[in-house]
Amino acid sequence: MELKNLLAALEDACPDHSFEAHAMPVDETVIEIPAACLEKVVDVLRSTFSIYHLSTITGQDRGTELNLLYHFWHERGITLQVTLPRDDARVSTLTGAIPGADFYEREVGEMLGVTFEGHPGPEHLLLPEDWKTGPPLLKEHAADEEEA
Amino acid sequence: MTRVTIPVGPQHPLLKEPLSFRLTAEGERVMEAALRMGYVHRGIERLSEERNYVQNLYLLERVCGICSHVHTTTYCQGVEALLELDVPPRGLMLRTLLCELERIHSHMLWLGVLAENIGFSTIFMYSWRDREIALDIMEDLSGGRIAHAVNTIGGVRIDPEPEQIRAARHRLNALEDQVDDLVDVVKYEGTLKVRTQGVGGASLEQVRRHCAVGPVARAAGLDRDLRRDAPYAAYDRLFFNVITASDGDVWAATWVRVLEVLESLSMCRQILDDLPEGEVSTRAPRRVPEGEVVSRAEAPRGEVVYYIRSDGSDKPARIKIRTPTLPALSLVREQLRDINIADVPVVISGIDLCIACADR
Repeated sequence: MELKNLLAALEDACPDHSFEAHAMPVDETVIEIPAACLEKVVDVLRSTFSIYHLSTITGQDRGTELNLLYHFWHERGITLQVTLPRDDARVSTLTGAIPGADFYEREVGEMLGVTFEGHPGPEHLLLPEDWKTGPPLLKEHAADEEEA
Repeated sequence: MTRVTIPVGPQHPLLKEPLSFRLTAEGERVMEAALRMGYVHRGIERLSEERNYVQNLYLLERVCGICSHVHTTTYCQGVEALLELDVPPRGLMLRTLLCELERIHSHMLWLGVLAENIGFSTIFMYSWRDREIALDIMEDLSGGRIAHAVNTIGGVRIDPEPEQIRAARHRLNALEDQVDDLVDVVKYEGTLKVRTQGVGGASLEQVRRHCAVGPVARAAGLDRDLRRDAPYAAYDRLFFNVITASDGDVWAATWVRVLEVLESLSMCRQILDDLPEGEVSTRAPRRVPEGEVVSRAEAPRGEVVYYIRSDGSDKPARIKIRTPTLPALSLVREQLRDINIADVPVVISGIDLCIACADR
């Protein structure tokens, strides 16, 4: 897979955006994409480049915004980076194309308060159903609140 | 026919760890399977942000009680990449040795669990007895049977004497004799075949859809193994075969795992025969420069992924862990569909669950 072919195919699929890639150790290529393009980009990865394996989704609180990293793997790592606003974090679900994304999305949803639009069963994965103190991986979440 | 919902777990005799299944059955047929996890969620990802890089070695070793070493391996190689630190060849070889000994003990433990769940207690006894040999080697090398504390950032913390290497080689020979017998049992024993062949079959397409990894995926014909496809530690210096099968049922998964034990034994022997001289570790600074890394390794159950982000301090800003049981749990919901209730324990055993790993 040539990276420039991949970027060109992504630009064909989402003509309003230009895509750039940068390298991340150990052997990962990171491509920043707008949240609105996620489904189209994943479709291109799967149909044109046979990149089927979604290793996981990392969600993290970067202070002013939330960051989702979709880690794919095909001969080497390919990570799609999506940035979401902190106050209204929503992105479309991938569970239609990749049922294996179900657990990953539920975990990111409960830990960081991200809404995956169209997810068939967005209940908690790891946290109890009656968890009340908000998403625990947000930086402002204080561990003591749970004990209070 | 009336549908009946059967709750299984979270505490149940099938698994030693808590996991809850909700099976919807029509007569003896399971029609739907749902699961609930999180009963042993310890918040390790959040805890790791409050500890420094060295303290995290001991926290992350406890993500899994079976494959503890591969977690520290994945973590260490990620941090080493951020530090641009070269691990000495002897350190890499010893790290790989422990990875393979761990795979042997994990697969043999699993074979025992499967055998017990299909009522084949003899193989449970033999398999767990022989697994002790692998544990003895690890104990002799590291002082620990399960949590070895071998990895450190920059290398390993063990430097075996020639006498220990001789003893390990001697024990590997004894283990190989026993494993050869177990391979024959899996190959020829009718009881085992009747209970596992054609049970819980996953197709290559299903494996792909659920992003399953490791022996479960290889049993369905997915030819992927990070040790060969993205070599880390010292795997580029070893000769081994990636074992695959095609049926995706519990027997195929068993066959893949027992043959992987033989491959691991061969790798251990190659390492012991060709262990380079020299240092086992490089000194690592306390602070890690700003950056992010994705580190992957092939655990006994398949691909482990660590994402680590450093903000330049002595504590990580974020560590994300994906263990191989999580996608397997996604797949098992499909494998449990349209099977007999009596086959449920076999199918669940077949994927080699590690719940504490998946919950973290």
